[in-house]
Amino acid sequence: MSLPNKIGTTRPRRVIVAIVAWVIAILFALPLVWMLSGSFRTKGDLFSSVYPFSPNILIPRTFTLDNYASLLNGPFALSVFNSIFVTTVTVIVGLLLSSMAAFALAQMKFRGANIVFAVIVLSFLVPFDAIAVPLANVFRDWGLSNSYIGLILPGIANGFAIFVLRQFFLGIPGELAEAARMDGLSWWGIFWRIYLPLSKPALIGAGFTLFLFQWGAYLWPLLVATKPSVQLGPIALANLATSQEVNFGAIFAGAVLLTIVPLVLLLVFQRHFTASLASTGSKG
Amino acid sequence: MTTATRVNREAGHQPASRRRRRGGGIWKVALLFLAPTVILLFVLRVIPTIGAVIESFQRSASRLAPPRFVGFDNYVDLFSDGDFAKVLGVTGLFIVIIIPFQVAIAVLLAVLLNERFPGLGVVRVFIFVPVAAPAAVATVIWGVAFQPQGPINAVLEAVGLPGQPFLTSPDQALLSIIILMSWIGIGYWTLFLVAGLQDIPIELYEAASIDGAGWWRCFFSITLPNLRRTLSFVIVANTVASLIAFVPIAILTKGGPADSTRLIMFDTYNNTFVLGDVNLGQAEVTILLIALIAITALQFRLLGKEKS
Repeated sequence: MSLPNKIGTTRPRRVIVAIVAWVIAILFALPLVWMLSGSFRTKGDLFSSVYPFSPNILIPRTFTLDNYASLLNGPFALSVFNSIFVTTVTVIVGLLLSSMAAFALAQMKFRGANIVFAVIVLSFLVPFDAIAVPLANVFRDWGLSNSYIGLILPGIANGFAIFVLRQFFLGIPGELAEAARMDGLSWWGIFWRIYLPLSKPALIGAGFTLFLFQWGAYLWPLLVATKPSVQLGPIALANLATSQEVNFGAIFAGAVLLTIVPLVLLLVFQRHFTASLASTGSKG
Repeated sequence: MTTATRVNREAGHQPASRRRRRGGGIWKVALLFLAPTVILLFVLRVIPTIGAVIESFQRSASRLAPPRFVGFDNYVDLFSDGDFAKVLGVTGLFIVIIIPFQVAIAVLLAVLLNERFPGLGVVRVFIFVPVAAPAAVATVIWGVAFQPQGPINAVLEAVGLPGQPFLTSPDQALLSIIILMSWIGIGYWTLFLVAGLQDIPIELYEAASIDGAGWWRCFFSITLPNLRRTLSFVIVANTVASLIAFVPIAILTKGGPADSTRLIMFDTYNNTFVLGDVNLGQAEVTILLIALIAITALQFRLLGKEKS
């Protein structure tokens, strides 16, 4: 018997649910499909397909990889590489530091642990962008502008990552650590050999949060990474879109390149991300 | 649940005697594990915040002149100048429209994703890809789409409707930005609501079923009331996210046309780096920070409740 919280109780109603969901999904997908098809078009095809309306608005009449080729032979390739490098380091270092902090806050019941927890998580929950403008001045004084370190540092401390990891660690029975202590394992050993291997789902959720923040970052790299050698993908893409001679093919191809990485991660971690991200929750 | 009871429950994990026995050394160990995070807390949050507050009370005659203390002058300037009132007005309007809009669609989507139908996984990916792609991607794609001679107008005109000016009109620019940002954000908020729906005890619906309640009755009497916590979290977190909306404004409109998209985050950036008035910019940052800290504290409490 179906319960009254489901709409699809009869066959016609199930069909309606499917149709409505699919229509919404297609509306969400349209800009992406349009972007993908545009990235394969030649200049002439692009121009005529955008306006006025033609049935070819979504399906390219021509197929070329020139847009990608010219992008990857130009400075855009470096910016994609920079983005991949900066994001990878951010996720690895960020996961390590966040789980260390979360471990201390979950496992160690010292006096005032809850206040320390609230101060740390709350500070890093306040969105980074709000403090980015004054911090950019500080980083300039310290000579950290236009460096990878300057780009990476803000991404590695994340309130949501610490929060979700601590929450997960609290669910691991304290007896486990207690027994390991009896056997002479150090705190670091307990953290590294017991807690981390048990926490894969939480680490994936926290890792995705760190990834989203750094891969999508715009304001911060705009402020501190002005040199072409350390430019990140989103900035390079915006430059393509606002340059004097706008090349739609290059914009579409660049947008596709920056979407592929998160899309692949999304498909690989499909199963995990719905559960873990909903409990982590942060989009930079 | 109040904070106090939660604290007690957590402390209750370990008996008091054991805590006392370990008490001495554990501080040092905890400090070592926390040290990198605490250092980052100072470098990334405390130092720039103090800097911003100090500079908001200062003013320099020129770029090279040493700053002098001027009290609340920058704040007075900010509030007596009509521009800042306009920024607050635009930001307020933006939030009042975008949040109900996103939340309503996210609830609808969450309800649909909670049903069973072919292609559920694909639908979920489509809705979530815009969240995972950088905001700059969404911005440049919609920027092309919104052009007067772009695909949206092509479709409108093909079905006999007049073309719209979108980003070039003071009346439509903010709404266009809202559509763009909702395309990015809705999938994200939907995730929380799906999780919230799945947390509602099935027994409630079983009881309602025995009482003969239909879907609408259940939605308003069971689903929505039980979704209250998730909804409050989503609304608060969405407010925070919307207050710092920046990318579409910076790339597409630069606050125009006629200041119609001059949101506060862009304005602080603009004051500091484009107009070069650092002290006025820092006063604005300080105001924004105070608002965000207050709202985030609320979000933090809701996050705690969600888990307990």
